[in-house]
Amino acid sequence: MKGEQAMSAQGARILVVDDEKQIRRMLKAALEGYGYDIAEAASGHEGLSQTSIFHPDVVILDLGLPDMDGIEVIERLREWTEVPVIVLSVREHEDDKVRALDAGADDYVTKPFGMGELLARLRAALRRMARSEDEPVLALGELSLDLARRSVTVRGEEVKLTPTEYEVLKYLARKAGRVVTHRQLLLEIWGSNYQEHSQYLRVYIGQLRRKIEADPSQPAYIITEPGVGYRLVAAD
Amino acid sequence: MNIGANDPYKHQKSFQGHLFLGSSPENYLWAVLSIFAVTVFGQVLTPHLDLTNIVLIYLLPVLISAVRWGRGPAFLASSLGALAFNFFFVPPIFTFAVADIQHFFTLVVYLLVALVTSTLATKLRDEMHKATQGEQRALALYDLSREIAARSDFDQVLKTFVDKVAQAIDGMAIVLVHDPQTNAMEQIASEGADSFFDKKEYAVARQVLEQGRPAGKGLGIFEGERSLFFFPVRAEDRTLAVLGIRPGGEASSLSPDQTQLVETLSNLAAVIIVRLELAKEAEQAKWLAESERLHRTLLNSISHDFRTPLASIMGAVTSLIDEKDIYTPETRGMFLGTIREEARRMNRFVENLLDMVRLESGTLKLNMKVCDIQDIIGVVLREMRDTLTGHPVKVDIPPDAPSVMADFILIEQVVINLLENAAKYSPPDVPVSISVGVREKDLVLTVANAGPSIPGEEREHVFDKFYRQSSTRHVSGTGLGLFICKGIIEAHGGRIWIDPSPEQGNRFSFSLAAAGEAPDRQNS
Repeated sequence: MKGEQAMSAQGARILVVDDEKQIRRMLKAALEGYGYDIAEAASGHEGLSQTSIFHPDVVILDLGLPDMDGIEVIERLREWTEVPVIVLSVREHEDDKVRALDAGADDYVTKPFGMGELLARLRAALRRMARSEDEPVLALGELSLDLARRSVTVRGEEVKLTPTEYEVLKYLARKAGRVVTHRQLLLEIWGSNYQEHSQYLRVYIGQLRRKIEADPSQPAYIITEPGVGYRLVAAD
Repeated sequence: MNIGANDPYKHQKSFQGHLFLGSSPENYLWAVLSIFAVTVFGQVLTPHLDLTNIVLIYLLPVLISAVRWGRGPAFLASSLGALAFNFFFVPPIFTFAVADIQHFFTLVVYLLVALVTSTLATKLRDEMHKATQGEQRALALYDLSREIAARSDFDQVLKTFVDKVAQAIDGMAIVLVHDPQTNAMEQIASEGADSFFDKKEYAVARQVLEQGRPAGKGLGIFEGERSLFFFPVRAEDRTLAVLGIRPGGEASSLSPDQTQLVETLSNLAAVIIVRLELAKEAEQAKWLAESERLHRTLLNSISHDFRTPLASIMGAVTSLIDEKDIYTPETRGMFLGTIREEARRMNRFVENLLDMVRLESGTLKLNMKVCDIQDIIGVVLREMRDTLTGHPVKVDIPPDAPSVMADFILIEQVVINLLENAAKYSPPDVPVSISVGVREKDLVLTVANAGPSIPGEEREHVFDKFYRQSSTRHVSGTGLGLFICKGIIEAHGGRIWIDPSPEQGNRFSFSLAAAGEAPDRQNS
């Protein structure tokens, strides 16, 4: 893990693991333009060895590698490092995304993706390494959570949340900008006996949206990631 | 395998058949008894009747024997009658001597008349018997052909066939159809005939198939202990199948009539099998032609629908590379926007193609979960933000809209396709709307635009694969979007339709069964 300088975008080190040369070249050019320091790997094994040599702050990992399953790469990485991993996957394999996230990946981007989307995921992943757990106020656009007072304000007005709604929102806000899987949320809020009860989540997310979204049918804060989970973003 | 000579029963049987002229011993006994009865009767009547009249009574058992019991018993009755008449009635009584020449003449005439009438009566009987059998055979054939005409499925037809054969011989039947490709024999049996024969007999069936000659008792190549017969089912120069039969009841061999009936039936079976094979080939040819046509359409569609966005991208990119200084920032932005939007369009096209392949191959797996329709619409609108610029979207979801049991991603795909169409086929700035309603126990989602209405006669075809409206061919599209929507919705057990008489624009709707009770909303 790098020290303080890695926490800003400038100079943060990123390892791109993808067997497609064009993708690597494009990512390298684009990300270097934003001031990141890039290393490349074309296979799972190369990715694993590069991680120990290059010490990246974030790994961008394609799930479809020629030599080994991307999930296995994540598992092997997680044996010794907490480096954030952003998974690149194709839409057809929704289950792979969830498996990758449950195996310890931090986030995912679906191919084909926009560079803006990838940069947002990168920043959120880097923020995870920077943020301390006891930050008193979490703010996203016009939404803010005062953790000390357990109060939530949106567009300048305080909203009343039930204790469970508050816990769900707090967990999402702690991981702001990053995807949170159904399973992670259920484990966090209801405990291990409720891992399969994603209908609870659906209900609470619906209630939260009615309270904090300007238009609940077009949510700007709590975004659904189909088949995977939810993501709290700063309203645009 | 037993050869005929080692089969004592068979030997005895043929000996019997020869000795008794095809009639059973009981029939001879009946003939003897009838003569005995007539003799007793004659004794009673002697005081009142003339000898010439009594001899007439003796013709009665001869006639009865001829009609009921066949030629042998009739001959026996004739001879016994002559002897009994001579012994009991012709003086001197209780001797075989004949005193009067007149009586000798009576005896000779009686014997001649008895023999002639019995021969005639037997012939009549045989012909009657043949006629009855012929009628039965005709009926069996008629029944069979009528039932078979009503079926077109191979196995069903053959099942009907074996059932009929079993019925006709009052036993069991089985047909083994040879598949020339795998060289296997598929077996179709009448009721109870599943465990018809053992390994050895199966080998005999194979032999019948290869040699094209029947096997079984009295037929040639195979004579086992069991009464089992195999007939080849032949058409032209090849054996298509083997018909195995086991007659029911006591009979352990087939009568010539039964053999003939079975042969006729197997000829019919050959005709049927050939007909079914031809039908199968025709079906395959049709299927091939159809899939070829689809492939061609698919290739046309792919080449067109990939090249159209590619052309836009190439045009925009080469403009920017070659002449980057002559364009204003706005024009450059427009080029870049085009590239982004066209790339997205290609991606959606690929998704549709993949969905189509999954739908067609039956590998589309539904990941059914309880979904909020509001959530699905929210995701769609977020994804379509850039595509829908220029088309204000009106969303109308009642707060109490029920949730549905569905595959979130696939329903998302359906709404995306409907929305994309609504935007694509309406002029810029014309609003499109999404509304949700409840009809009975179904949730109904409607996507409407105010663009030009699809003409009535084209409306019923919009869900067909690769169908493109004639009036909007200039708009780039695949003709796949609505076809996939229909496939996905129907896989969910729902229904998709286009409003048959919109006042203006077009209204596409689909229905999905509302999920059961939502879980309790605990306010913990």
